[in-house]
Amino acid sequence: MYIKDHPILKKDNNHEVTFFYNGTTLKAKHGQTIAGALMANGIKKFGITRKLQQSRGLYCANGRCCSCFVTVNGLEHVLSCMTLIEDGMEVNPNSGDPDVRRGEYGN
Amino acid sequence: METDVLIIGAGPAGLNSAYEIASNGVQTVIVDESFFPGGQLKQQTQYFNNLPRQFEAQRGITLAETLANRLHSLPVTMLHKHTMIGVYKDGSIGVSNGESTFPIKAKKVIVTTGAAEETCLFPGWTLPGVMTVGAAQILMNRERVLPGKNAIILGCNSFSQEVAQQLKDCGVNILGIIEKNTSLGRESRERLHSDIPLLLNSYITRAMGRGEVEKVFINHNGSEQEWRADLICIGNGLSPILEPFEILDCSFTNKEKLGGLLPGYDSNFKTENSSVYVAGNAAGITCMGGVLLTAEIAAADVLRHLGVLNREDAARQTTYLWKELLRIETQTDSEVFYARVASIQEFHEKNNIPLPTSFHAILEEC
Repeated sequence: MYIKDHPILKKDNNHEVTFFYNGTTLKAKHGQTIAGALMANGIKKFGITRKLQQSRGLYCANGRCCSCFVTVNGLEHVLSCMTLIEDGMEVNPNSGDPDVRRGEYGN
Repeated sequence: METDVLIIGAGPAGLNSAYEIASNGVQTVIVDESFFPGGQLKQQTQYFNNLPRQFEAQRGITLAETLANRLHSLPVTMLHKHTMIGVYKDGSIGVSNGESTFPIKAKKVIVTTGAAEETCLFPGWTLPGVMTVGAAQILMNRERVLPGKNAIILGCNSFSQEVAQQLKDCGVNILGIIEKNTSLGRESRERLHSDIPLLLNSYITRAMGRGEVEKVFINHNGSEQEWRADLICIGNGLSPILEPFEILDCSFTNKEKLGGLLPGYDSNFKTENSSVYVAGNAAGITCMGGVLLTAEIAAADVLRHLGVLNREDAARQTTYLWKELLRIETQTDSEVFYARVASIQEFHEKNNIPLPTSFHAILEEC
């Protein structure tokens, strides 16, 4: 949920961007991080841990704790708090085993 | 890439030392993980009053702009979205933007990586809905997103109190501040707001919920209560970020009053690695005035070693800056200043370096 009338900050005029989360079309504001965009849409759970199947979401918002990993345009383990949302971005939760990349960088 | 001075981190300390250095025409590169400069100032909407004389009192977000804007006409290269990831054999710093990695060769390096928030462990602390107070402030002031509706603040200190008030002003219902101690420090007592409940002698025993925080069990004065909450903000203080110092062969010291483990440094903020300096919260957790002044002390010594400042001018400047640091840090928390001076004395003794005569006046004040 957005803060409509911020008590201190001026209204921002950032334009809207559209992105996809788990196949659903969502809206965000230009300048937001992926984490901010997801939280704005009421999504707190960004993934589950592989071993213990525990829920994970935004924790430090500073790129240190790695709790907020998501998959972005097919790339796994992207820090959603340190990556800005872009128009048309395909974001998926960080759950299950990662796909091992083959080809150019794989073996 | 080659430069005279490389600064790791574009927070207040990094930006301020960049200004001091580059305004003398010295080539400076700043590496920063984020997409725009300012470090943690970028979401600090509160006022900072106790700043060095050249800065008037201003909000953190304004200070971030002030510090970044005055670099525009100077020989400063800002590398956003770049992270220091290692050191090459010749001492060059390895930097990566996720796609390419390259060395930066610098005569001097100033590490201003700032601090990280300490956590507080309880069953359920990894659930979505549990975050640091700093994260909640980022969501609120950078993302303009409410981090939750009903919040519990864990840990009572001036920063968590500030964020609690800001959350409340944005419409979050603050159920209470939970503090394990039975009394508060002076700064926290002065900040107490009667409209935010404070529970001393309390801690969280467990947070539960399906995929996110829904209920929280709190032990208050020995008996357990169940609260409905969707947000827990952990405010357990800060500690210096140390990884760059580890890979740069710096020594460490432990000073509880400065946030625990920190790099050892001399009276000019030079570490055991003679080409590496430290400033800001990475040199011990302090107030904003302290962050800015330590950056200026380090910058003055860098300028002396590069031959830009002569010995006398550098000594005069450093003496002035230390007096300012004494004034500002002791106004906020004198124990921080004393711990800093003690750690510098230890560093000089351990490395058999005499303390500069100008520093004796500072010692007498302690």
